[in-house]
Amino acid sequence: MPTTYHDPCNYGRRAEQMFGRGFFDEPRWILSQCVENWVELYPTAQRQICCGGGGGALTSGYNDERIHYGRRKMDQIRAAGARMIVVPCHSCHGQLNNLKSQYDFEDLTVKYLWELVADCMVV
Amino acid sequence: MTDIDTHQTTDLNGLDPGRFRDWSCDQDFCVTCALCSSACPVSGIDDFDPRKLVRMTALGMEDEIVEARWPWICTMCGKCENLCPMDIHIPAMVRRIRGLRDRDAVPGILHKGLEAAMQSGNNLGLPREDFVFILEDVAEEVAEEPGFEGFKVPIDKKGANLLTTIHNKLVNTHTEDLKHWWKIFHAAGEDWTVSSVNWEGTNWGYFTGDDERMKVMVDRIVEQMERLEVKNLMWPE
Repeated sequence: MPTTYHDPCNYGRRAEQMFGRGFFDEPRWILSQCVENWVELYPTAQRQICCGGGGGALTSGYNDERIHYGRRKMDQIRAAGARMIVVPCHSCHGQLNNLKSQYDFEDLTVKYLWELVADCMVV
Repeated sequence: MTDIDTHQTTDLNGLDPGRFRDWSCDQDFCVTCALCSSACPVSGIDDFDPRKLVRMTALGMEDEIVEARWPWICTMCGKCENLCPMDIHIPAMVRRIRGLRDRDAVPGILHKGLEAAMQSGNNLGLPREDFVFILEDVAEEVAEEPGFEGFKVPIDKKGANLLTTIHNKLVNTHTEDLKHWWKIFHAAGEDWTVSSVNWEGTNWGYFTGDDERMKVMVDRIVEQMERLEVKNLMWPE
């Protein structure tokens, strides 16, 4: 399945801004152990686009604004040709799953990074 | 909550430049270049753009910025801060503005969830017995899968290597998602535990700009680490 990766703002750009180090490489290394030939979104890493679900947006009640916010994220995933998006954040996961139905993208699989690892384990 | 009409006349005598200088966000040094407005994914929604908010904050327009929906529609994603030539901490400023709202006027369920957490230890108000029941029930399902025979969830295990917090949605509507980390721990032979009290991993004081309650939530997790004599914390929320 064509797979891509989304950088959550707080693990990437904001961690770099606030603590001097963003986590960009580590999740990509883990993803590469599980999936061959996954593709990057454009833009990516520091220039990644926010999914629109962070900062409490999923629970603030401003749902129309939140869904509108997510339109660029959906376009970005489509442009990458991906059918699975891997993400290590509960807020992004919730938002992306919600956006699927709003933007006629029901065949998109939204996967936690740790869920992917658990799926790939041979025990 | 009122939308801001930026075309209405502003009483210049009511302005108070530098009023929020103590915030350490440096909004008073904005050069109005509008790079933030160009970078912001929600520029245009509700006539919002971050430059306006920065300028209004710099000018001390407290009532207007506190009543606006803008600070709550912003997700504090940091695209603006990333580009700002004056290094203005715009997401931190947004959070400060959120903190000025009357707590009863915080939108959605954010403050209600936080209040529930203050009372019960978690946003759902889920009692300890119910929480333990859910975890053990899900653990039984894991134990039925090949390779995970005998799996048990080690609740309140003293001296474990790793304590993990739990996102409230995983003991509410998304219990299946509890299993991924548990399976990884099992396969890795990790000596882990989860606390039966104050296990909540989300911290809505962060979202609502409520430093006092945010600190309470953090302190509680540290208390569980001390109580269970655990040295490492995994806090995926």
